[in-house]
Amino acid sequence: MTNPLGARVTPVGVRSWAGIAPSVVLVLWKREMRRYWRDRSQIFGGFSRTILWLVILGFGLGASLREIEGYSYAQYILPGVIVLNVLFASLQCAIALVWDREVGLLREVVVSPAPMFSVTLGKLLGGATISLFQGTIPLLFAPFIGVRLTVLSVLGAWLVIFFLGIFMTALGVIIASRLKTFEGFGSISNGVIQPLYFLSGSIFPLRGVIGGVGFLDIPDALREELRRIGVFAIGGGWVVQLPDWIKVLVYANPVSYQLDLLRYYLLRFQQLPLTADLLVTFALPLIAAVIAAWFMGRMLKHK
Amino acid sequence: MNSNAQPVSEGAAQTARIAIEADRLGRRYGDVVAVESVSLSIAVGEFFALLGPNGAGKTTTMHMLTTLVTPTSGSATVMGYDVVRDAAQVRRSLGMVFQDPALDDRLTAEENLEIHAVLYGVPRRQVKGAIQAALEWASLADAGKRRVRGFSGGMKRRLELARALMHSPRVLFLDEPTIGLDPQGRRNLWEKIAQLRHAGMTVLMTTHNLPEAEACDRVGIIDHGRLVAIGTPTALVKEHADRSDADLEDVFIALTGNQLRDEVATARDRMVSFAKQGGEHTR
Repeated sequence: MTNPLGARVTPVGVRSWAGIAPSVVLVLWKREMRRYWRDRSQIFGGFSRTILWLVILGFGLGASLREIEGYSYAQYILPGVIVLNVLFASLQCAIALVWDREVGLLREVVVSPAPMFSVTLGKLLGGATISLFQGTIPLLFAPFIGVRLTVLSVLGAWLVIFFLGIFMTALGVIIASRLKTFEGFGSISNGVIQPLYFLSGSIFPLRGVIGGVGFLDIPDALREELRRIGVFAIGGGWVVQLPDWIKVLVYANPVSYQLDLLRYYLLRFQQLPLTADLLVTFALPLIAAVIAAWFMGRMLKHK
Repeated sequence: MNSNAQPVSEGAAQTARIAIEADRLGRRYGDVVAVESVSLSIAVGEFFALLGPNGAGKTTTMHMLTTLVTPTSGSATVMGYDVVRDAAQVRRSLGMVFQDPALDDRLTAEENLEIHAVLYGVPRRQVKGAIQAALEWASLADAGKRRVRGFSGGMKRRLELARALMHSPRVLFLDEPTIGLDPQGRRNLWEKIAQLRHAGMTVLMTTHNLPEAEACDRVGIIDHGRLVAIGTPTALVKEHADRSDADLEDVFIALTGNQLRDEVATARDRMVSFAKQGGEHTR
């Protein structure tokens, strides 16, 4: 059969199993990759964010905090900075749907016979892969702040980053499907990324002692005793427990568990139960992906 | 008022198959009726224009026929397939060009076409040839490796028209195909469409441009969600205009009135203007 353009084309239909068409997932994943590598500003943002947090906060605030359980402040926040990069990468990738749906390529995808579940999968895998790239940027700085990386710790970190990327892209897809209009990323950054980031134990320890003026040291015996009741002492100074309401928010935030597992792989330092970490990190994204696919299907049907 | 299907030309009428058929098709959004009880029938090979003021229901009608919007009443078929029950078959048999470009600006022309080929299940070994043929047909053979971002409006429209034809659709839907083009681009696109028409393609287009509509086999005028007139341009002029030198524009104004249709900007309009200013993360 020759198409009206004069080429021999015999469409055989998209091959799919249970809504999964590998060729569609692959081509849409490739689209996300191409878009990412051509957007220098996103890669630049990944580097600038890392440098701002690790260098300015790490060394600036770190100077007064001295250490958290033997780790420098810059080391302590390294996993958090990775998470921050992943949050930006995955949400940016997902929120682009709002634009794509109204005036971009997505309309062309929606009138095609390709299964919509595969369209969602392409998006989720694309967002997770971009997260992997953006999350690796802070890892490049690890040697400069004295974190020793091993093959295993990097592989473990990548695994967590990838699943966190799936989870956050799915969350972004759900948000995007509810957004009617989109005139700036600011509301997503302030309303979603920052609360998730700050309330995840990224920049302060969960059962932590906050505060401290550098010249007053906590005696070793007291430090030991505090550790036994699960309180980590930062530097010197006075002992402050986190307020209960913050604690509740931190424990309710899934990112806390994902970050905790990431910190465990990178620093061998952990503050939450391992089972909870593993469940939240690897099971929750799959549930979120199914919900995202449902929302996406609904969004694309009733315009 | 005439809502029955009319034969394209007297001779072929009896044997012509039906490409698009709508039976009391309607769509309401809450209390707002966007389209109400539209019935029409378009024969294979026919070139049909849907005319109407802004917000009259042209695009919603087209979206129902292309399975993008589910009708709330009535039914429709495209090439014999029901737009609700057999949505996948309907999608396979149609090619669509949207009102504004549905292209990925950051990708090259070839990459955009590649996505289309995969979405419609073009066999892998035919994809390269199909892309090449599409680029040549659209006079974009040298621009294949360039990003669409740098394309003019006319280039984008040609690319989209070629893309819509890659999978050999039986019916072509064009939503305001020549809007925003300069006279050269308009003429070029019109020639391409005429070429398809002579090859026997069924085309349904919406338009504001009355001279273009006059060149169609039949025209349907839609207003306030209702089909108020349907027929060949000459028949419509004869039926609805009182002067002998009247044209389709007089008919259009006679049927839809002089009132200006000022709409409030929709969320989508706001986003389009935002993006045109170079809004962040929109491209």
